[in-house]
Amino acid sequence: MAMRIKIDLALCQGHSVCLGEAPEVFDVIEQDDGYPQVKVLLENPPEALREKVMKAARFCPNNVITVVEE
Amino acid sequence: MSERAAVVLNTPPKVSGEKPGVGHMEEFGVNFARFLMRCNAECGELAEFNMGGQQTVLMSGPEAQEAFLKTLDLKLSRAAAYQATVPVFGKGVIFDAPPDKMKTQLKIQVDALRYQNMKNYSAIISQEVEDWIAGWGDEGELDFLDEFLRLTLHTATHCLLGADFRYKLTDEFRQLYHALEKGLQAIAFVDPYMQQPIFKARDQARERLQELIGGIIAQRRAESGVAYGDALETFMAGTYADGSYLTDNEITGLVIATMFAGHHTSSGTATWTLTELARQKTYADEVLQELQELFKDGAPITFESLREIPRLERFIEEVLRLHPPLILLMRRVIEDIDYKGTLIESGKTVAISTYGSHRNTDYFPDPERFDPHRPKPDTLFAYIPFGGGPHKCAGNAFAMMQLKAIFAALLPRYEFELVDPDETYQDDFSAMVLKPSGPCRLRYKKRR
Repeated sequence: MAMRIKIDLALCQGHSVCLGEAPEVFDVIEQDDGYPQVKVLLENPPEALREKVMKAARFCPNNVITVVEE
Repeated sequence: MSERAAVVLNTPPKVSGEKPGVGHMEEFGVNFARFLMRCNAECGELAEFNMGGQQTVLMSGPEAQEAFLKTLDLKLSRAAAYQATVPVFGKGVIFDAPPDKMKTQLKIQVDALRYQNMKNYSAIISQEVEDWIAGWGDEGELDFLDEFLRLTLHTATHCLLGADFRYKLTDEFRQLYHALEKGLQAIAFVDPYMQQPIFKARDQARERLQELIGGIIAQRRAESGVAYGDALETFMAGTYADGSYLTDNEITGLVIATMFAGHHTSSGTATWTLTELARQKTYADEVLQELQELFKDGAPITFESLREIPRLERFIEEVLRLHPPLILLMRRVIEDIDYKGTLIESGKTVAISTYGSHRNTDYFPDPERFDPHRPKPDTLFAYIPFGGGPHKCAGNAFAMMQLKAIFAALLPRYEFELVDPDETYQDDFSAMVLKPSGPCRLRYKKRR
């Protein structure tokens, strides 16, 4: 089972919780107007980062991040 | 939602009981949460009613609510629906700002809720809770409606405007804030510029608040280099795309808007949470056990330790299901909408009801029963205490953190019981923000 990260950008308000939890996997990019948006750096993160990725998904205030097992 | 002009479309079914001149205002005014449930029961997914001349279409069910919540401002405008906030927040602030400026202001508001600020806020809230209960003694009786209004005014001003302002909090500030609150009752949504004493008081209060907050801003500008870690610091540092800073008026407006978003909503939910903890002994004991386990041997309450308290979270979520502080969310239709073959014309208001959605028996069987073990719906748009989609309440994580900080500190130390008969603790629908009917008396007793 490998992780794949799915994001719904329409929900992202740039709270940056994911960046705090797993900076290896997520970045947050300032925009010209409106909320900063998450950027996924590793769509298929290695197993070693599983715990951090799951926390990023769980603590995201806006349910932006989904982790799919494949 | 897609637009298809010139096709023959249905119009939404109309709710019965409309009266000449006032439409459904009277019934709405008696108990708007129940009125909206009647609209849904009678007409289904779309139900059109008349709010003193403003045709309003209630959209019910997760599918319609998702369409409502995901449609962007260009088509469904929050600004046009919430013009009553303009004299309260201020000219040029949020719903009165041009779209690009509004986006930046809301973005700066979220900046104040990022990680480092949240850590500061959780420490502030824990300190405020300790100070609050310091004088309680071993047992006593309090009206928690008042108590939580005071506690959350302290936490809100402390997190927003800093320790200095909070500890010098004056009666004048309380009165000004109260005058602004009175300026945002239901009548303001009909016309906020009527010649009325409450609106005159509102405008005077807004002006004086700007002087007060402008004073702090000026002082901080003079003492550059000091770190405050509060929201005001973030608001003062924020810039528009051209690099310019927010004006004092805009900063004041953001402070007021943030207070309005977070204060009564949090105090009402805290009061309901404590009341339900006193009522639901079995579930309350489960929460207590969890807290005793997580915070045993004096483990501190911190931002990190507050993040995962699953039973307490589920308990608070069930409180928010039954008692969502904001019941009615609104948008103004800017472009005609074709919702599954039904035309909703521009100029109408569309609305959703959190209270009604949370009592949808397809998703919440036996809906009036308090049960934190209910399975979560498989859609994000049935349980919507914070709305959802791109404009979801940006303070949702702050709100949960604050509530958990309060009850993680309270529950292991005190037990609570209702003073008055159970059935007298009811929702009060007289204000725009839901809270328990007052007084909300509970007895507390120190645990041994």
